[in-house]
Order: sequence, then C-alpha cells, then structure tokens
Amino acid sequence: MATEQNKTEENKAPEMVPIVIDGREYEAPRGGNLLQFMIDQGLEISYFCYHPGLSVVAVCRQCLVGLKNAPKLVPACQTAIGPGMQVDNSGHKVLDARRQMLEFTLVNHPVDCPICDKAGECILQRHYMDWDHQPSKIDHPKVRKPKRVEIGPRIVLDDERCILCSRCVRFMAEVARDPQLVIAKRGNRSVLTTAPGKQLDNPYSLNTVDICPVGALTDRAFRFQIRVWELSATRSVCNGCATGCQVEVHHRRNRVYRLVPPRYRNRDINESWMCDYGRYTYKALDADRLTLPRIKGQDAGWDEAVGHVAAGLKKAMEGDRSRIGVVLGADVTNEDNFVAARLAFDFLDLPHVYLGAEPVGTAGDDFLRDNDPNPNRAGATACGRGKLRSDEDLARDLAEGKLTHLYVVGDRLHLDQESLGQAAGLDLFVVQATHPSALVEKAQVVLPAAMWAEANGTITSRDGKVQRLRAAVEPPAFCRPHWLALVQVAQRIGMTLEFASPEAVFVAMQQEIEPLTGARWGRRMPPRLLRYAGSRG
Amino acid sequence: MTTTHDGETQDLTLVNMGPSHPAMHGTIHLKLQLAGERIEHAEVNIGYLHRGFEKEAEAHCWQQIFPYTDRLNYVSPMLNNVGYAMAVEKLLGVTAPERAQYIRVIVGEIARISDHLTYMAAQTMEMGAFTPYFYVMKGRDWLWDLLEEISGARLTHSYVRIGGVAWDMPEGFKDRALALLPRIDQIVVELDKLMTRNRIFLDRMQDIAVVSAEDAVSYGWTGPCLRGSGVAYDVRKAHPYLIYDRMDFEIPIGTDGDNMDRYMVRMEEMRQSMRIISQALEQIPPGPILIDDKLVVLPKKAATYNTIEEMINHFKLVIDGIRPPRGEVYSYSEAGNGELGFYLVSDGTGRPVKCRVRPPCFMGMAAVEHMITGHMVADVIPTFDTINMIGGECDR
Amino acid sequence: MSRTVLDKLRQRFEASIIETHDFRGDETATIRREALLEVVTWLKERNDLELDMLTDMTAVDYLEQGNDPRFQVVYHLYSVSKSHRVRIKVPVPQDDPVVDSLCQLYKIANWLEREIWDMYGIRFKGHPNLKRILLYEEFVGHPLRKDYPKERRQPLIRRPEPEIAQVLARRGKARPLPTATE
Repeated sequence: MATEQNKTEENKAPEMVPIVIDGREYEAPRGGNLLQFMIDQGLEISYFCYHPGLSVVAVCRQCLVGLKNAPKLVPACQTAIGPGMQVDNSGHKVLDARRQMLEFTLVNHPVDCPICDKAGECILQRHYMDWDHQPSKIDHPKVRKPKRVEIGPRIVLDDERCILCSRCVRFMAEVARDPQLVIAKRGNRSVLTTAPGKQLDNPYSLNTVDICPVGALTDRAFRFQIRVWELSATRSVCNGCATGCQVEVHHRRNRVYRLVPPRYRNRDINESWMCDYGRYTYKALDADRLTLPRIKGQDAGWDEAVGHVAAGLKKAMEGDRSRIGVVLGADVTNEDNFVAARLAFDFLDLPHVYLGAEPVGTAGDDFLRDNDPNPNRAGATACGRGKLRSDEDLARDLAEGKLTHLYVVGDRLHLDQESLGQAAGLDLFVVQATHPSALVEKAQVVLPAAMWAEANGTITSRDGKVQRLRAAVEPPAFCRPHWLALVQVAQRIGMTLEFASPEAVFVAMQQEIEPLTGARWGRRMPPRLLRYAGSRG
Repeated sequence: MTTTHDGETQDLTLVNMGPSHPAMHGTIHLKLQLAGERIEHAEVNIGYLHRGFEKEAEAHCWQQIFPYTDRLNYVSPMLNNVGYAMAVEKLLGVTAPERAQYIRVIVGEIARISDHLTYMAAQTMEMGAFTPYFYVMKGRDWLWDLLEEISGARLTHSYVRIGGVAWDMPEGFKDRALALLPRIDQIVVELDKLMTRNRIFLDRMQDIAVVSAEDAVSYGWTGPCLRGSGVAYDVRKAHPYLIYDRMDFEIPIGTDGDNMDRYMVRMEEMRQSMRIISQALEQIPPGPILIDDKLVVLPKKAATYNTIEEMINHFKLVIDGIRPPRGEVYSYSEAGNGELGFYLVSDGTGRPVKCRVRPPCFMGMAAVEHMITGHMVADVIPTFDTINMIGGECDR
Repeated sequence: MSRTVLDKLRQRFEASIIETHDFRGDETATIRREALLEVVTWLKERNDLELDMLTDMTAVDYLEQGNDPRFQVVYHLYSVSKSHRVRIKVPVPQDDPVVDSLCQLYKIANWLEREIWDMYGIRFKGHPNLKRILLYEEFVGHPLRKDYPKERRQPLIRRPEPEIAQVLARRGKARPLPTATE
C-alpha cells in the first residue's frame, strides 16, 4: 500500500547513526526520512504536503530546516538521514522561513473559518497559531476560484481553500490507483480539479477528505452537520465487512456523525485509510431501529418477552431437544456468540448450531474491502466449536420439519420466503435483531438488540485478528446487548449463567475458545473530546 | 432532647433558622438547640447555593470563566473578576498595562464600597432598622450606575480580561466618579449618625460574638472579620498588587473582636476606599488597556472579519483557549470579605485542570457555630450579618 | 522570592519530600502522605516559620493526566506574622484515599476537609464529623472527580415504570435515569 521509500523499518533493522538536532543528540535510522523521525520524536515542526502513506514531493516548503554545510534551508521531508547530520529546527532563519511560507499560503486563503467544516481540526489554523503571528500584509483582493464544486457524488471541493499540497492527488494516484484528481493551470491560478472526463467517485475517495489539511475537500454527508470540537471520538472497529478496519466513531450526545480512521496511523490493518462504504455504515445506527420487544407483532415489555421465550424453550426441553435450532450471528460480537453457544451446547445439549450470515458477495477489492460483508464470520465460526451448519442446512432442516423451535441471534440470517414461512409456523421463533426485515417480520418474538457502536465486545477479522468494539453511544431506549438478552433468557429457563459485564464474558470465552486465547480485551479508552489536545488537526 | 446545663437537666428546643428565612440571606440553615432563649448547640448547614463553579470551570476555556466569577461574590463582582484575571496572568507570566491596573483598582474599590454598603443595609435592616437600608440602596444604585457606564451591566460585569480590561473608561467617567464620592460619603455619614451610637444598636452588637485573634487566625479568617479581631492583615498592604503600593490609605483594625468591631471596620474601610478611588482617578496615566500579545488577547473585530490571519487567531483563541504553560499558581487579592484566592492548575491546554476559589466567607461561616453558642437567639442575626456571608462565594 | 520556607523544610524533612519547586514564585513542596501531620505541625509551631493560618485546602484529580497516585491534596499555609507562604501537596492513591486530618491544628480544617470528602471522596483520618457539606446527604457520587460527567443527573424521585416508558417513547433514544448504584 504505502510506497517503499517511507517504510524502511519494514525491511531489515536499519543502521542507527548519530545525528544532532538543535544541539541534542539522537540515534536515527540511516537513510530514514528526517521529517518522519522528527515527528516520531515529538519535535515541533510544521508541514502540509508530507504524509507517511504517500510519496514525498516537498511542494509546500513548510518543513524547511537548517542543515550544517547546506547553503540553503532544506525540506526535512526530502532529506535522508545521514551520520553526523546537524539539524537546526529552531534558529532564526528557520522560524522566519516558517512564518514566510505561512504568509504565502494565507495570501489567497478565504476568510472562511466560520463556515468551514475543517475549523477546529485545520492544520493551517494550528500552524498559524504555533508559528506565524503576524497580521495580514496584503491590501488588494484575493484570487477567486470555484467555490462549491461537486467533484464527486460524496465530496464537495472549495478551490479557494485549497493550499495545493497535492496530498489528494497523490493519494488517488498511488494508494487508490485511480488518478481522478489533478492540479490544473499554473501559479496563483492553480486549481485542484478532476482529470478530464472523470468524477471523484472512487470507492476510496473520502480518504482525501481526511488527509486534506484544510477544508477544501469536504464530505457531503458531514457538511454543516456539527462542529468538530463538539464531537468525542471512541475507538472501535468498522462492521462493514470482514476486514475489520480500525475506526474512530465521532459522536455527540448519543448520535454518531462520522466514522474516520484513527488519528494515529496503525501499522497492520488499514493504516490511515478506510473505504467509503465503511464510512457510511454509521447511518444504520439511527435509521429505522427496532426499539421495543414484540410478541406476535404487538409491543411488549422485556420481562414479558423473555418470559414468553423461556416458556417456549422450557416446553421444548421436555421433549426432543434436538428440535431446537440456535443460529449464531456473523454480525454480532464474539461475546454474544459465545453466550449463545454456551446456551446451545452446554445447557440445551444441541448437536449443532447454525450460522446466520449474509452470503459472500463481489463488492470486495484488493485494497481494504472484503467480499464477505459479515464483520465477524471468523468469530462466530470459532464459537461454533466445529459444529456449525450453514443457512442452507437450516433451510433444509426447516423444510424437513426437523425443528420446532428456532432462536436467531443477529440480523443476517438468509432464508428465502418459503423457509421463513415454515419458521413462522414453528412453536417458537425468536429473533434478536436491530432492524426490521423479512426475518424480523415473520418472527413470533422479537428482542431489540444493540448495535456494534453501542456495545462493548470483540470481533474477529478475516485475518483472525481479535479487535475490540467500544460503545460510543447508548442504544435506543429498550435495546439490550445480545449477550445480556441471552443471559436473561438462559437464567429464566434454569441455567446458571452469571456474567456481570461483557468483559466477564470475554474472560470466560478466552479460556474455552481456542482461537481466542491470545486475544486481549484492550485498555480502557474513554471517549476523547475532539478539542484542545484531542483535536485531529 | 436533654442536656445538663449548669448542673441541671433541661429539655432543649430544636429550632430551624432557615434556609427559608428573610434574614438567612444567601440561604443558610442554622439548626439551633435552645434552652429557653440561649443557644446550647448550633449546627450550620451551607451549600444551598452550590452551583458547581469548579466543575464548570474545568469544562470551559480560561477566558470563558469570567461570567462565572461574576456570580461568586455577587455584591462585588468586579473584585472577583480582577482576582481571577490576576491569577491567570500570574500563570501566564504577564502583567496588565498600567492604565488597566488603575482601572481595575478603581472599579474594584467601587465594588468594595458597594459590598460594604450592602452589608450595612442587611445588618441594620435585619435588626429592625429599616431606614438605613433605603439610604444605602440609593447610594448603591448610584455606584452601580457608574459600573454600568464602564462595563455595561449593573452586576454581572465580566469587565476584566486576561491581559487588561475589556474597554476603556468612557468620556467623563472620572468627573462623574469624583462627583459621586462626596454623595456616597454623605450616606456613610448618615449611617454613622443613625447607628453607631444608637443605644439599641450598641446593645445588640457590643461584646456579642467575641472572637479572639488566635481563633480568627485558626479559622482562616481574613478581611474585615480578621481585622475586627485585631490582626492587621490586609492583602493590599501586606502583599501589594496592581498599583496599591502607590496609594495612600489606612487599614482600620478592631480591638475586641466583637460584632461592633467588625461593623466599625467596614464603616471605616468604605472611607478608605473612597480615598483610593480619588487618588487613582487623579493618577491614572494614558495608555493601552490590554497587553499586546496575540496568544492572549483577541484581535480587533475589523481585522477578524476581513483578514484570514486575524480570523484564525480569534478562532483558535476562542475554540482552543489561551494556553498557559504547565504549572500551578495561587494568586490572592483583597476582596470584600477578605483574601480571595484562586488556585489554578494548568496542563498546557486551553482549559483548567483545576480552578479552585478560596472563598473568604466560607471561613467566616465555619466559625458561626462557635460564635453563637452561648448567646441568645436574638444575637444570631447580628452575628451572622457581620460575617457578611455571600451565598455565591461561600457555596460556589 | 527567596526560598526560606522550602530551604528549612528541606533541611529538616529531606526524606519525606518528593519534590519542590517555586513556579512563578510560589514555594511548593510535595511530601509523602505519612509525613503530613508531622510536617505541618512543625511548620506551624517552629518559631521562625510560624505558619499559623491554613489559608486553603483542596484536592486535584489527575485522572486525565494518568498520574499515579491519582489525587493530590493541596494545602496552602500562611504566616500572618511573617508574611510568608508555602504550598504543601500530598499525593493520594485512588484505592486508598485517606489522609490525616488537620482538625487538631487548624479549626478551619474541619470544614475544608468535609468539602474535599464531599467533592472527591477522600477520607480524613481523625475527623470528628466527616459528612457532606455543600451537597445534600443523598447525593450519589463525588462530583469533582474527573470521571463524574458534568451532565449526570441525580436520582431524585423515581417515577413508576410505565410513566418512564411513555416519556422515553416520546423522546426516542433517551436513556432512563441512573440508579443509585451507577
């Protein structure tokens, strides 16, 4: 994904050489990128066009530093570390250069902060306050450029705000491998625009909004929705497909406003990127949720619904228990599946369970998005203890009349109309789900569940990586996490099952499910306010 | 309830004074156990006006806290503003320009007079003398007219800024202020004539609630209450700040530590404040009223709306807040009730880790149980009044 | 400002001092919890120091900074006769939030310690009457702690369940009020 020249540490252990920055000695990797090294050391430096995931072009000239024996200031992003290097990061000339570059950048920048979405996480704003405190020196009108260009179905471009750092151009060309953006014209008339005949509609286009240091590129769904400093960020995992990209859920007062990759680049799964489809999965959290339990189409209380389910299961337990079907979900957490499996195997003594998963499709690509739209197929499979059957098996068992009771956890079970009709005719058909669907409509008892951004738990990615979901918002009024509803049902039918929290479930699960023994619950990460020290820009 | 008193067992009567009581101003609850009219045991409950100042301050930028400081000691809000601004300036390591310091002293002393006048009104009215209350309210309103001229509001000024004051004195302020001082003095003289040698007043105030100097210090008392007990500690003299070292004034000290002394100290302090105001108005130099530091002071509006540089400056100062260095300071000034301290802890971001107000009348209230025990019920009101407890400051 | 108080303190209590500084001229010493009573008694009674006034006492919660121990109780002492000040800070861990009470030394410590108990949940050993002072007795939690959200509502009166359900159905995603144990 990232170009080779920025990832020296991936190959062999680099040779460390001594360098001096501002009179202090450091051990730095020979041939490494000086700017990246300075950033890693936490030194104060400014830059716009450099990004660790993109090629180095040194167009912004904001990272100029002084080098001993160099006649001019050099851009740190384009300087390879050599032994004995002496870098000046705070001398008069360097500070002046930073001020002057910012002055140039601001010459034609529109006075848009009050209406710009990026305000509050804008790198230009931050650099001005840190390095450039001089007032404006121009006294004639600024250059005007196209102001609200809909360059793609999801992105709006404001050419006046663009500082021509070319991060977006390089991203589309190098990472998305679909060069839809170019910088046209010259001098102070340069504009960012789409390549001739193209739109910015690549499935990874919204990453350009993330990496744009100013508010030139904005996400249409997020535009003017909320000010960023009012948001809090919670680390979690995208539930759009089996890849499991690390994300930050940006929310305020129980409403999610956007999903973005985490502030600091992670090395393993998605680095600094996400696909556009994944970014918009937050919309499902608010759209059309099941909020109250239902018994035969009528709203009911939880107590009543759990009682109804328990009564049905108790009756089933008196007869042939193998006629009870339990369906694990490929879209619910490991903890949810674990409790369901415990109930199915350890208490009801069922011979097998089924897997409710959306069929593998063709929407995947060779970058991030996977063909499997289920976020936790791997986890559900692990909890199935090797006795997992598919939805086709379930359809067949229903058609052959082998089941009298069916308990479905999760939304994704795929059954055709006929099978659903058969399921509706069973003695008990329970579905724990989040959204209305054909499946939910046919169910006798519906228990409303919490979604991924409302629950604490873990899911397993396609590579077997167990990642932690953190609750960012509260579920709608009467939704409960799947594992909690299952525990309550289990206790009602006489099973001794005591879990005080999802973490307790995780601890128990770790000891029993082999693929999960190495997994960690992760440390406590409370929501981070996107303001003051927590801002992203 | 029974107890032994002078060797006899007696039934004690439980009487609740407050919190809903005309004289328990600021809202205070006194739980009195009476033997007849004498108070055998008293319990003071505060907190009815607790509004979470510190918690709010932790969620706001440094410069956004000023309106909250207005509502601490709400009879002399300017003094709270000044105290807080001084604390943040100490943290930043900057000093307000000279003219701003003079203005701060002037408005601060006007607020102090207003505080003491309000005390006079409450003290006298709650003991039954209604007339002084009206005289005082008249005078206080004149003072508030002055403060409204300079800040825009009669009570919730938020006039002081980090780095100076919000705007300069209006045209003719000095003349109007100087013309007002004799009229205020006239009211003080009238008060003095009515109350200070009044037989009933003396009977109710002299030798009541005597607090020794040692006790006063142990209770952390400062301000007029401490000076009434004979301890000569006034922050303006002991640790001069702003331009108080250029002012010629005296601090009145009491001798007995009774209610009368605390009353007399405040009476005299008003006169001294008037001296300070007239000196400051004469001496005030021309000059800027805000420091010239882009990272502390907001830019001018014309520039903010028209240039991107000032727009960014304004924007980041408001959204991210002023960013003092990491560290902690304790800054103190002489407010109406004594040493008003601000203990600020900063971690380098735009909002406080801790913003503690050291409330002078909290210490005063702590001693009330001890002060009224052994006295009569009728002594509660004069004693409580001399503490000059302001609910906004005591409970925050 | 000369570091008179700090120098003398250092001479006498070197072992109990964790660190000192005088940022912006405020002499400050962070001392070990166990030494508090001894140090403050010494500061109060020593003739050339005579720090006879406890100007202020408060606590700070450093949860967001990740400090361990989490709390610090901060004392500001002043000498009326000698006009010097010192700030004494005592680190207090989260799992054992107890400090010695200074009620015997300063009368105002009684109320100030009650306020710290009220706001932070730090107990004071030897305090005669450690109960809430600013908040009402039934209040749940210690509000100045950083993990107490500012907007939290307190359980005042519990409505019957059907009424709650009706209100919530109208408000959509709103959550019921917390219980006393949350």
